[in-house]
Amino acid sequence: MARVILVFNKKVIKEYPFDKESMTIGRNEGNDIVIDNLAVSGLHARIDKAEDTYILTDLQSTNGTFVNDRRITSHRLQHKDKITVGKHLLFVALSKEEQAKVQDTGLDKTMILDTARQKDLLAKQAEKRGMEVTTKKERIGVISFIDGSDQGEIQLTKKLTKIGKAETSEIRLGGLLMPPTAATISRRPNGYAITTTGGKTVKVNNQSIHESHFLKDFDTIEIGSYKFQFYTQEAEDKE
Amino acid sequence: MKLTAAGLSDVGLKRGSNEDYFAMDTSTHLYIVADGMGGHLAGEIASKVAVEVVQKNVNRWITESSPEDELFDFPDNTLSRRGNYILSGIKLANRVIYEMSREYAEYKGMGTTIVVLAVMPSTVIAANVGDSKIYLIRGNMIEPLSKEHSMVNEQLEMGLISKEEAETSPLRHILTRNLGSSDTVDVDVFEVEPMNNDRFLLCTDGLTDHVPDGEILRIIKDGNDPEHLCQQLVSEANERGGNDNITVSLIFVDRLDRERQGILKRFWRFFRR
Repeated sequence: MARVILVFNKKVIKEYPFDKESMTIGRNEGNDIVIDNLAVSGLHARIDKAEDTYILTDLQSTNGTFVNDRRITSHRLQHKDKITVGKHLLFVALSKEEQAKVQDTGLDKTMILDTARQKDLLAKQAEKRGMEVTTKKERIGVISFIDGSDQGEIQLTKKLTKIGKAETSEIRLGGLLMPPTAATISRRPNGYAITTTGGKTVKVNNQSIHESHFLKDFDTIEIGSYKFQFYTQEAEDKE
Repeated sequence: MKLTAAGLSDVGLKRGSNEDYFAMDTSTHLYIVADGMGGHLAGEIASKVAVEVVQKNVNRWITESSPEDELFDFPDNTLSRRGNYILSGIKLANRVIYEMSREYAEYKGMGTTIVVLAVMPSTVIAANVGDSKIYLIRGNMIEPLSKEHSMVNEQLEMGLISKEEAETSPLRHILTRNLGSSDTVDVDVFEVEPMNNDRFLLCTDGLTDHVPDGEILRIIKDGNDPEHLCQQLVSEANERGGNDNITVSLIFVDRLDRERQGILKRFWRFFRR
């Protein structure tokens, strides 16, 4: 089993066996390793066991966490690594077996940290920055007709919205010269993009687009005599 | 519609075994890549099971035109029917791997990433779990069609760390989602409209850890033979270290002969006859 050794002024203060999945370090009571010193944040850093390795993560502490004198955000611990928190030092001592395993585990090895622990870790980091993890709401695109139709506002709930004359279109446009599908709007990792598909001119902010174009809030889209605006709004909660 | 596709999997330079797996189905135009993890042979099993479960079930649903409410788990109404087949196939694969890892001691802790691409003349569906990736190369641009489910990416998106910190963070390889570690899984699915000359790349992190997006774009847009390009991408990753297994699958789309002409074009065709 690994041990964490707390040192202050060249004296060993205490040894902690690493007998759980995670250990927290900080000034507040309730941390696994309590360091009562003003240079240490209430909840300063934390060590997680991920398979055969130990990972140290700074929890956005005021004065930072250092490993072998380098400031870190997160760090994969090696045997005898020196962690500096304020004026206190922490040394990590791994058992022989663990040392071998840490050596074997290359830096590129992919691992899983169970969801509860990683959520907790992210939440704690965010909290320190005054951010709320759970309130990060998804934004959903909306099309608002300005001209040519009384369809009003349409939410782009589909991953791929087809616009055109075809009956299967999510947004139906009429007119003799309107292709079955004149354009599509897809929701992609980088945002909403409009693609021309029917050979009919599609304009965004008065410029004809070729192939795909990423949409920004309040872009104006024109297809034939139809004119509409794109914007995003906070999605309603799914649950 | 004409598709030209190739795939290649390489053990890399540092690993003793290849835990990646891939499949290409030219009849249903389904392309899958998976990167397994877990001790002994478990990683290899996980990636193979994932690919096979998805392929077999999605193909069966396609053949039988199964209604969406008869699939595994609830359908997602933001997706097309084919999108739901893929979503459901991945969720089923997750359950299979999860049950296997609970049932057998030698499979304990196994898991895998997965990326799936399905190409149809009107829609391309891209789905993923984990840190394997799908890219669309269109003209001079490269665009992700997958989301990276890693701790670092979440920290980055939340603004907790900088891009530079992300590149060297030891949390880089810690996944927040995979197939096999929980009885349910969230899958990211995207649907886009294909265009002629679109090129799609599916790959594992053995490629992307070494070769940056810009370099991938340069290599792919300059070539015209998917098979040769797959070899070139693998060589590039190996020359830059080859720390992990490398798997790439490239799909070139051409001659999308879908019915999309407007009335003018139909007239034009009529007069030309």
